[in-house]
Amino acid sequence: MNDWEPKITTFLCNWCSYGAADLAGVSRFQYPPNFRIIRVPCSGRVSPKFILAAFRHGSDGVWVSG
Amino acid sequence: MNEFDCGLGLKAATSIQYAQAVPLAYSIDRDLCIGCGLCEKICLAGAINYDDKPKRTELEVGAAILAVGNELFDPGVQEVFAYGKSPNVVTSMEFERILSASGPYMGHLMRPYDREEPKKIAWLQCVGSRDTHECSNAYCSGVCCMYAIKEAVIAKEHAHGDVEPTIFYMDMRTYGKDFEEYYNRARDEHGVRFIRSRIHTVDPVEDGNLEITYVDDSGELKSEIFDLVVLSVGFQVGEESVKLAGRLGIGLDKYNFARTDSFAPVATTREGVFVCGAIQGPKDIPQSVMEASAAAAASSVLLSESRWTQTRVQEMPPETNVIGEPPCIGVFVCQCGINIAGVVNVPEVRDYAKTLPYVTYVEDNMYTCSQDTQVKMAEVIKEQGINRVVVAACTPKTHEPLFQETLMNAGLNKYLFEMANIRNQDSWVHGKDPAAATEKAKDLVRMAVTKAALLEPLPDTELGLEPVTMVVGGGVAGMVCAKNLADQGYEVHLVEQSEDLGGQARFLNKTWKGEDIQAYVKDLADEIEKSPQVHVRRSTKLTNVDGFVGNFSSTLKNGDKQIELKHGVAVVATGGHEYKPFEYLYGNDPRVLTHLEMDARFIQDDPLLKEIKSAAFIQCVGSREPDRPYCSRVCCSHTVESALELKRRNPDIDVYVLYRDMRTYGEREDLFREAREKGVIFFRYDLQSKPKVSGGKDALEIELEDQILKRSVILKADLLVLATAILPSEAGQLTTFFKVPVNDDGFFIEAHAKLRPVDFATDGIFLCGLAHYPKSIDESIAQSLAAASRASGLIATGKVFASGTVARINPMWCCSCGVCVSICPYSAPSIMEEGRFAGKAEINPVLCKGCGLCVASCRSGAIDLKGFAQDQIMAMIDEV
Repeated sequence: MNDWEPKITTFLCNWCSYGAADLAGVSRFQYPPNFRIIRVPCSGRVSPKFILAAFRHGSDGVWVSG
Repeated sequence: MNEFDCGLGLKAATSIQYAQAVPLAYSIDRDLCIGCGLCEKICLAGAINYDDKPKRTELEVGAAILAVGNELFDPGVQEVFAYGKSPNVVTSMEFERILSASGPYMGHLMRPYDREEPKKIAWLQCVGSRDTHECSNAYCSGVCCMYAIKEAVIAKEHAHGDVEPTIFYMDMRTYGKDFEEYYNRARDEHGVRFIRSRIHTVDPVEDGNLEITYVDDSGELKSEIFDLVVLSVGFQVGEESVKLAGRLGIGLDKYNFARTDSFAPVATTREGVFVCGAIQGPKDIPQSVMEASAAAAASSVLLSESRWTQTRVQEMPPETNVIGEPPCIGVFVCQCGINIAGVVNVPEVRDYAKTLPYVTYVEDNMYTCSQDTQVKMAEVIKEQGINRVVVAACTPKTHEPLFQETLMNAGLNKYLFEMANIRNQDSWVHGKDPAAATEKAKDLVRMAVTKAALLEPLPDTELGLEPVTMVVGGGVAGMVCAKNLADQGYEVHLVEQSEDLGGQARFLNKTWKGEDIQAYVKDLADEIEKSPQVHVRRSTKLTNVDGFVGNFSSTLKNGDKQIELKHGVAVVATGGHEYKPFEYLYGNDPRVLTHLEMDARFIQDDPLLKEIKSAAFIQCVGSREPDRPYCSRVCCSHTVESALELKRRNPDIDVYVLYRDMRTYGEREDLFREAREKGVIFFRYDLQSKPKVSGGKDALEIELEDQILKRSVILKADLLVLATAILPSEAGQLTTFFKVPVNDDGFFIEAHAKLRPVDFATDGIFLCGLAHYPKSIDESIAQSLAAASRASGLIATGKVFASGTVARINPMWCCSCGVCVSICPYSAPSIMEEGRFAGKAEINPVLCKGCGLCVASCRSGAIDLKGFAQDQIMAMIDEV
């Protein structure tokens, strides 16, 4: 279990969190490589179906930020 | 020898100057050419005219802008630096080329002598700057401190940490926005060593190493051996520029920089000829970019009548119809120099992309965004019949529009494009784990390719633009911006929350060049009042903003009166103010003043100033402190100017300046020198041992640790002036009104620190003045003209394009619940009243901002969002 790494599907709002994730890169903040980011035009675009789909396809966590 | 690589590499007699050259064409170097003429005969395209001669072309123009830049100082004229004697003494520009991925060493950090990776690297500051010797320049070049720190940090990145950078300096001048924080990080996190010193000599020793002999802060002579020495060379005006200025008949100052007035910072002494960039004075990229726009704004006033008379329309190839065709996806993976390729295995990602469904073409590029790659990309799209494009590179936030334009140039609809963010969200944040970063890059490319296969062409909608600008803030910045727009013939509403125009400038005495600010502000306010195009709205507050670029609707409140204002663009010029300190007895002793209070005494011609025997200034009060880390930029110059003013009024007065680093950048250095010549005494103090002020009966007593005597010293002063920080005005609701961010210090954040210094990321909103960062009045004026230029660029076209990524309803599935109508913040959906689908919802694409709120809330699944469609996002989730 020690080498288990979670896979996290991430929905980031284009206008805030996605830009923040870019800024984290510009600032060279280091974080674990377990996220896969999907850009959405607004967190309002994230339908509950997306979250369920992410879990159904094997994500261990879903993060919606906006 | 390749001049672009500063002679560190070689080139042929026929070559392209550098990979990003515009136009990207070969040329013949006549100095290297042996004159065989073979190239002309074998060129299949017949593109070479071997006997081509320089041509003379005459143009009729209404205004001219001089942007010829500067030369670098040649350190070879000063023997002490051993430049030219040892190949391991390089200039900062040569070091830039060494670090560059497209440079002579392909971005590998090596020293020229033996191509070994240097471990100990020294930067020597102020080479050819701040030096009154005849072969040098007396001014500060303004940019070298910052680039030296940047080079030191990047050198560490290139060598993966095994580099020990040391910067030898006199004063660390990190006075720009976020610069001080960068300096702090370089010292505290990256381990860059900073030694305050004067250099004695650089001597070559064995193995190509160099011994630097220097005098440190305490006056002790020391020496240390380094593997590589970088000379931070400054700017100087080239001979050709001086000749050109002579031909144009424009005035130059004593250093040959174009002479300008603080209140017209881009206007030369000759009417109609403008300047921008380093020919006007030493400066960095953001300031140069601002001045470039400022020069455009200033010349637009002269040319407003002839606008659109000589316009050539860019021909776009007709759009290829891709509907019904199977996807043929081209994937372009960017190395971004070493930004991506230094971490992610780019060839592996590229080869992986080739295995993905519908991918018919892959390639990797050193810089996918470069002009040459863009041209090639458009050709490849056409040749390979690509109908969907994926670029794996930086971020769509900055580069999507550029690549979309390339698609249009190749005849593809711009929405047939998708980006995989493998730099900002991958290589930059997983630098220590290349394997995982490469895996993530592959996943991101796979997700992007999957979405790309489902993309469809979308139309943009053209909308009208309200040709009115709202300027928020009636200080100098707001007024200059409003006046320029009015002079260009556009209508402006200038909103000021107080009763008076003028802002902080009303309290300032003189510019650093000695011009009278009071008279200027009064004249400017009078002109604004008289201008028929400017509607001045005093005592007015902005209470709400709706809409978007081209079509804003703002609510203004003046007392009980409420006004609705329709405008196409807005400029934020809300300014800043002086920090009122609590330290150094301020507020408890009337002899302790701030800079503005001192200026007020100058303006009132206070007779006391002629009577007092001594005055002291303390710098960095409230700036460069742990809880307010930024440098307020203008205070050092303000202090030396005030010190000189005191000396002018009373030559016998003793003036002391207590400082941490004197930051009299650019030609302001002259003031610093003059102050010393006139007998102003400068004491340096550290943040750890700040001066202590006590209020004696006859005079204030200031106790400090003298750095040279190494003992405590007590100064007596009849007056103490605190150079306090500049704080931004409270941003308040403006951030939510315009959807614009502020940084930790409360200053607004521009779209791009270097390349878009007056734009916000939100379209149609611009920024200038102290709200952006502390700056002197000439810099504020240049930035305000730049904001006017950017605003007029939009207004002049009279239209905006609304994105094609909008929601669309399938009326067959709509159950008429009305949730979309109630939920939409932009009132885009409505219920159709007639026709076949009466009672069902429809969406007005002009009003729709593409947020997708209605899509996620539609219970019938009748709404989909173009560009972020259900099937597209689901497909991406599937591939996570």
